[in-house]
Amino acid sequence: MKRNRLERWLQNISKTQEEEISCSECFDSVSHFVEVELSGADAAKKMPQLKQHLDQCPACREEYETLRDLARLENDGELPSSNDLQNLIP
Amino acid sequence: MSRTRTNQEWLHDLNASGALQEAAIADLRDLLLRAALYFFSRNLGDFKGLNRDEITERAEDCAQDALIAVLNHLSDFRGDSKFSTWAYKFAINMAMMSARRERWKGVSLDELASSDESNFFEWMLQDKAEGIAPEQSAMQAEVRGILQEVIAHDLTDKQRRVLALMVFNEVPMDEVVRHLGTNRNAVYKMLHDARLKLKNGLQAHGIEVGETLTLFSTSR
Repeated sequence: MKRNRLERWLQNISKTQEEEISCSECFDSVSHFVEVELSGADAAKKMPQLKQHLDQCPACREEYETLRDLARLENDGELPSSNDLQNLIP
Repeated sequence: MSRTRTNQEWLHDLNASGALQEAAIADLRDLLLRAALYFFSRNLGDFKGLNRDEITERAEDCAQDALIAVLNHLSDFRGDSKFSTWAYKFAINMAMMSARRERWKGVSLDELASSDESNFFEWMLQDKAEGIAPEQSAMQAEVRGILQEVIAHDLTDKQRRVLALMVFNEVPMDEVVRHLGTNRNAVYKMLHDARLKLKNGLQAHGIEVGETLTLFSTSR
C-alpha cells in the first residue's frame, strides 16, 4: 500500500505543470466536462487543463466521479428516488 | 415526482414568483437531496456510529445548503451542461465536506502536520523490496536524498505542513482547509508549488522524474 502511494506521488510530481488551474476553475467547468464525456467525446483532449487538475487533486476528482456517475444515471432514466437512496443506508 | 424541465425552464421558473417558483425550488431541493444521498451511500464508512435517520438528516442539511448556493449562483450558469448536472455538483461538494468532517472529527491534525521529513523517509523505506540490484538501490537512495533535501530546505513551512497532511497522511483536502483556516485554492497552490520544487530539484540533478517511476516500481 505504501509503495503504491509513493508511486502515485512520484507520478503526480512527474506530471506537474508550471501553470495549473485552481479548484474553483475546475468546479466552474466540471459539469461541462462531464457532459462532453457522456456525449462520447474525448473530454480529456478537449479540456486538458481540467483533466490535469483532476489527476492531481483527489478532492476534485472524487466530486467529478460522483457527478459523472449521477449524471449518467439521470441520462439513462435510472436516477434513484430519495426513498430508494435512503434504503441503501443501513 | 419532480417535473422534467429544460435549462430555460429551470431558469425561468426559479426566477419567477409564487407557485411556479415554489414548485421549481421544491423539485430542485429533491434533486439536490438525491445527489447528497447518492454521495453518502457511496461513502458510508465515513458515518460509522450514525443511524439512517441521522445520515438522512445530514443529507437534508447538505441539500438545503446546496440549494442556497445554487440560487445564489444562478447567473453563473453558462448553459454548457444540463442544469441538473450543474446543480448536482453543489450538493456533491457539500456532501463530501460533511462526510469527511464526520470521518475526521476528533483526529488531531496538529500532530499529523508536524510529521517531519524523516518520518516521510521512514515511510518511503518501509516497503523496501529485497533483492534489488545494487545500482538500482543506489539510485533509489539518490532520489530519496534529493527529495529529502528539497523538502528540508526549499519548501516553506506551510508547504511542508500540507505535504505531511495530504501526501504522507492522506488527510482529505477539505479537512486540511478547515485545519489551516484557508480555502481549497490556497491549499492546492501550496501542494502545486511543492510538487514543482520537487520536480525542479530532481531535474537540477539530471533526473527526469519519469525515470523514478521505473526505478521504484520494478523493485517489488
